[in-house]
Amino acid sequence: MANISKTLESLEMQTTLVKKQPSSLKLNFLKEIGSNKRARYSLFFLLLVILIGVFAPLLAPHDPEKPYYEALLHGPSKEHLLGTDSIGRDLLSRLLYGIRATLTAASIAVAITFTIGTFIGLISAYIGGIIDNILMRIMDVLLALPTIVLALAIVAILGPSLANAMIAVGFASIPGFARITRGAALTIKSSGFVEASRSIGSSHSWILLRQFLPNIGGVLLVYTTLFIGVAILDTAALSFIGLGAQPPTPEWGTMLAEGKNYIYQAWWLATFPGLAITSVVFSVNFLGDALRDMFDPKSMGR
Amino acid sequence: MTSKLLEVKGLHKSFPLKNSLFQQKRFVHAVNGVTLELNEGETIGIVGESGCGKSTTGRCILRLIEPTSGEIIFQGKDITKIRKQEMKRFRRDIQMVFQNPMDSMNPKLTVAEIITEPLIAHSIPKEHRYRILKETMELVGLSESQLNRYPHEFSGGQRQRIGIARAITLRPKIVILDEPVSALDVSVQSQILNLLQDLQEELGLSYIFISHDLGVVEHIAHKVGVMYLGELVEFADKDQLFTEPLHPYTKALISAIPKSDPDEVKERIILQGELPSPANPPAGCKFHPRCAHANETCMSLNPILTDVNGRKVACHLYQE
Repeated sequence: MANISKTLESLEMQTTLVKKQPSSLKLNFLKEIGSNKRARYSLFFLLLVILIGVFAPLLAPHDPEKPYYEALLHGPSKEHLLGTDSIGRDLLSRLLYGIRATLTAASIAVAITFTIGTFIGLISAYIGGIIDNILMRIMDVLLALPTIVLALAIVAILGPSLANAMIAVGFASIPGFARITRGAALTIKSSGFVEASRSIGSSHSWILLRQFLPNIGGVLLVYTTLFIGVAILDTAALSFIGLGAQPPTPEWGTMLAEGKNYIYQAWWLATFPGLAITSVVFSVNFLGDALRDMFDPKSMGR
Repeated sequence: MTSKLLEVKGLHKSFPLKNSLFQQKRFVHAVNGVTLELNEGETIGIVGESGCGKSTTGRCILRLIEPTSGEIIFQGKDITKIRKQEMKRFRRDIQMVFQNPMDSMNPKLTVAEIITEPLIAHSIPKEHRYRILKETMELVGLSESQLNRYPHEFSGGQRQRIGIARAITLRPKIVILDEPVSALDVSVQSQILNLLQDLQEELGLSYIFISHDLGVVEHIAHKVGVMYLGELVEFADKDQLFTEPLHPYTKALISAIPKSDPDEVKERIILQGELPSPANPPAGCKFHPRCAHANETCMSLNPILTDVNGRKVACHLYQE
């Protein structure tokens, strides 16, 4: 015991040499987002868009589904700031309400991708061997098809609706996400602390949840963000070809499709939904890039 | 009278080499017939060059790597034969400390989470966990205020204390120490070694101490095994081994330990040649290409570990 207290003394000397740092990793992360210009602005813009979507009933000047028969295909005016469509519905109101359908669909799609993709990727990396081979070959086959074609096939089976479109988009993105998760998890698998966990006798689920997930969480967050952008585009694309949201639901992809018929008479009909999609996807991707730089400074500027 | 706690008999581990389609399957024999005995409260040192299979031996005992053949008898039971699920019961009694504490700890977990992992894994009731955690922290000389810090906030020596704390939270009987001090400064090394010795006394631990540093092993071990290319070439009490090494390889190793007295005249045995590839070991005694005493028998016949005056050595010079 005497020896231990002696080592304790010398340890105290060491302790003072170790730099004192704030201990919460989560707090650091929020701070870092705040200090990164790109992350800050894009996150701010996205939150704004979400808030507008939530408060659409308060902000929208008109009922998005109410036709004004006296104002068919009117251009932007004081009464209808962004103009009206072919049956006289207010475009601005429809755009604001469209945030709800578009972002909900994208989020649910990404939630599906994230849950199943992470699961497949983790299992594949952790178990390895034949299971890994089988799972990854299936993913390879699916990856050989463009996501949108895969989504098309799924919608064709399920039938066209917004709910089915988001399921389709969600499932179609799984192969890509699973591969990314597997890659990230493989680097963790070979690390010493996973071996240490095995030597301790921890359960597989504990190792996966406490050793793998916290360490690949950053990578997953980055790709989840980037996948949201893809999901918005894919849902819009499915809606555009009539397999997603059905009229009269205001959804950006559907609105774009309606607008294309009048592209020469009423430019605003296709332009504003297009701009809305572009700006949201742009800022989502921007956020994703900024997050990636934060987690992996090596890829900065790539 | 000390009792036998762990017995390793003829442990083999071979790894398959990446082979092309038409070639015969080849193996690297990383561990080749290692036999050890560990008594209660005792420390066995295992020394050897890099790649001689000492870490593999340690990992095989824990079945982190499945041994190819051989027996590992712990508490009268051969733990190489039991199923993986049953192995968990034995893991409670055999724990491991790793070489690189930074790599062996999850950077995203706090010290408290790292040290309580074994308690959760072996379903120690929640109400006892904090008490055990506190006791363990105290035993290894960490203060309670450091519980919620992350590993990267500690110095190398403190990190290794955390690693040791994690290994002893379950109060195991055996701790396998895989180069626990090799990554540390010399001054910190001695602190950790003293800590290990104190813990051994207090908790009645037995150690298998794997190291390439003979000085460190001389300090802590009671018995020492010398490994060369996957084989145990000499196994003896520490004093015997360091004062009168028998195997030519051990002699060379011991002559290479730096001496503190500059005036002491010392004959250095400098080994010729490189360590042969374990994938393609020399025939006969694996040490013969580098051995000054090699004769014809050595080139054709691999010596087996035999008792010579109460110690074990695998060399033809002592077999008649």
